[in-house]
Amino acid sequence: MSQDSDGSMKRVQTGIAGLDTILGGGFLMGGLYIVQGTPGTGKTTLANQICFHQAAEGGRTLYVTLLAEYHARMMQHMGGMSFFNAALVPDQVNYLSAFGTLRQDGLSGLLALLRREIIARKATILILDGFATAQRSAGDAQGFDEFAHELQGVAIATDCTMFLLSSTKSVKDTPEYTIVDGIVELSDELFGWSAESALQVIKLRGSAHLRGKHAFRITRDGLAVYPRIEALLANPSRSDEGGIEKVSSGVNQLDIMLGGGLPVASTTMIMGPSGVGKTTLGLQFLSRCSQAEPGLLFGFYETPTRILAKTDGVCPPMRRLIEAGDVEVLWQPPTDGLLDAYGQRLLEAVHRRGVRRLFIDGLGAFRTAASDPTRMGHFLTALMNELRVLGVTTVYTIEVADIIGPTIRAPIDELSSVAENLVLLRFIEIRSHLYRLISVLKVRDSDFDPTLHCYATTSQGLDIEANPESAETIMAGFGRWPAGVTAPDNGPALLPRLGG
Amino acid sequence: MTTVLVVDDEFGVAELFDAILTDEGYQVLTAINGRHGLELLAQKQPDLMFLDYMMPVMDGAAMLRAMAADPALPSIPVVMMSSMPEAMVAERCSGYVTFLRKPFKIAQVIDLAERLLGSGDRSTF
Repeated sequence: MSQDSDGSMKRVQTGIAGLDTILGGGFLMGGLYIVQGTPGTGKTTLANQICFHQAAEGGRTLYVTLLAEYHARMMQHMGGMSFFNAALVPDQVNYLSAFGTLRQDGLSGLLALLRREIIARKATILILDGFATAQRSAGDAQGFDEFAHELQGVAIATDCTMFLLSSTKSVKDTPEYTIVDGIVELSDELFGWSAESALQVIKLRGSAHLRGKHAFRITRDGLAVYPRIEALLANPSRSDEGGIEKVSSGVNQLDIMLGGGLPVASTTMIMGPSGVGKTTLGLQFLSRCSQAEPGLLFGFYETPTRILAKTDGVCPPMRRLIEAGDVEVLWQPPTDGLLDAYGQRLLEAVHRRGVRRLFIDGLGAFRTAASDPTRMGHFLTALMNELRVLGVTTVYTIEVADIIGPTIRAPIDELSSVAENLVLLRFIEIRSHLYRLISVLKVRDSDFDPTLHCYATTSQGLDIEANPESAETIMAGFGRWPAGVTAPDNGPALLPRLGG
Repeated sequence: MTTVLVVDDEFGVAELFDAILTDEGYQVLTAINGRHGLELLAQKQPDLMFLDYMMPVMDGAAMLRAMAADPALPSIPVVMMSSMPEAMVAERCSGYVTFLRKPFKIAQVIDLAERLLGSGDRSTF
């Protein structure tokens, strides 16, 4: 395999950013790789995508089929893909069939044909589609071993990187597993009624890679691969600067309760039932954004249009900030999304604008997108750690199931790793009236006011009572008047500025 | 007997041509690349050739050039075939009488054979 001037082995990029990341920069030039997966998992699309990417970079690629899809049909399918460029066919992407040769002259004939075509066409990439046909024609393991070994020799001698597409699985005790430089497996897995495509690098010789499965989807642009966030960010991209500065939560009284505001680059969970004012509080947090302190609203349930309408009703300064570009609104429908695609989109948006204030409206959508719920803890920990080292102060909302009642169930198990600061919003029902209470449960490395405060939602956002006594009357969802005070018949009316 | 030579690296395509045209009463020869096609041409003069554009060893354009350069080889009508658009193929090769875009229908193959050979030709065997 060829080496760069620094001694590292040269890489062949696939053109699929996520896959190249998983591979540590791409496949090794002159390597022999198996791409395996059951029919329909995307092997042909992946192989064509690599061919056209390499051809666009000046490479020359050979797509050789055995008993596989007819070229005409394949080109009909690929013709609709954005990466397909007919002008590159046949000089830089050439489709050939070798089944006739295999049938007539066996594996030795196939090998001779491949060697000849690679040399004659100066091919840099070879795809052999229908690899299992060659395996079957070998007759015995020894014959196939020799074929694979000699093919690898051609790859090394010509710097042609080879991909053998197979619809059968290579397991560790098979000869090809030992011989090839790497194995990539594509799979399609059902989770309830939903299907998710996954890619796994099972073996990669001579290169570190991101282990485990990674989600992908096939679009008109080909495969889009999303490295698993907790694998990608197992170590944050930079060191944690720490810092003791505080930033405003957007609500002055809440800043007082928080002990001076939110610690910069911390994560804050706003927890509460539907309709209690979580989004409003998040919007107020973003309303302190500026050109120097850009913000991002990453939401799932309300479209940008609805968000704009909402800001007019509860946080008027936001419209100007959004229109000026100081706050970006990124909306993604929460249905059929991929967890890691959300994570990647969020991080890209943060990097693109140097976001300093991030509001994730509806962390529950991440949970919904997680095919494997056991990933959530690690996913969120990795994501929040990265946001922290990027200096992003993050506020996110999460909905609790019980709208009213004395019991609060934490919706995430690993609260400490994903919520350095915790703000709880609650409804309280007293004598047919609903009231709202806010309390701070936790602030990172800081004293805070742990008392309950009543608040109202107004056209300017949350208006929190400075005096906690009003809330003193209410404990755990049931009314209780302060000691020595006799509750009058119209008791709730005595509570200052409740409701709204 | 009217003979048709089919030169195509895709085994299934060549086999399909063989089946279609044999049923229509033609004798069919098949080759898996241009070089193999030239060998057959040297042995027997077919009446028509269906020639694939992209093939290993020797592609369709190279085979046409070789035929044109060798006066010993017979001059026969050639139907060039490809899944690429004809305009792109025509830029690189000449000497064929018509073009068949892949994937094709059986009726197109029969129609082309009859049009280029004449429907009565088969009765000569």
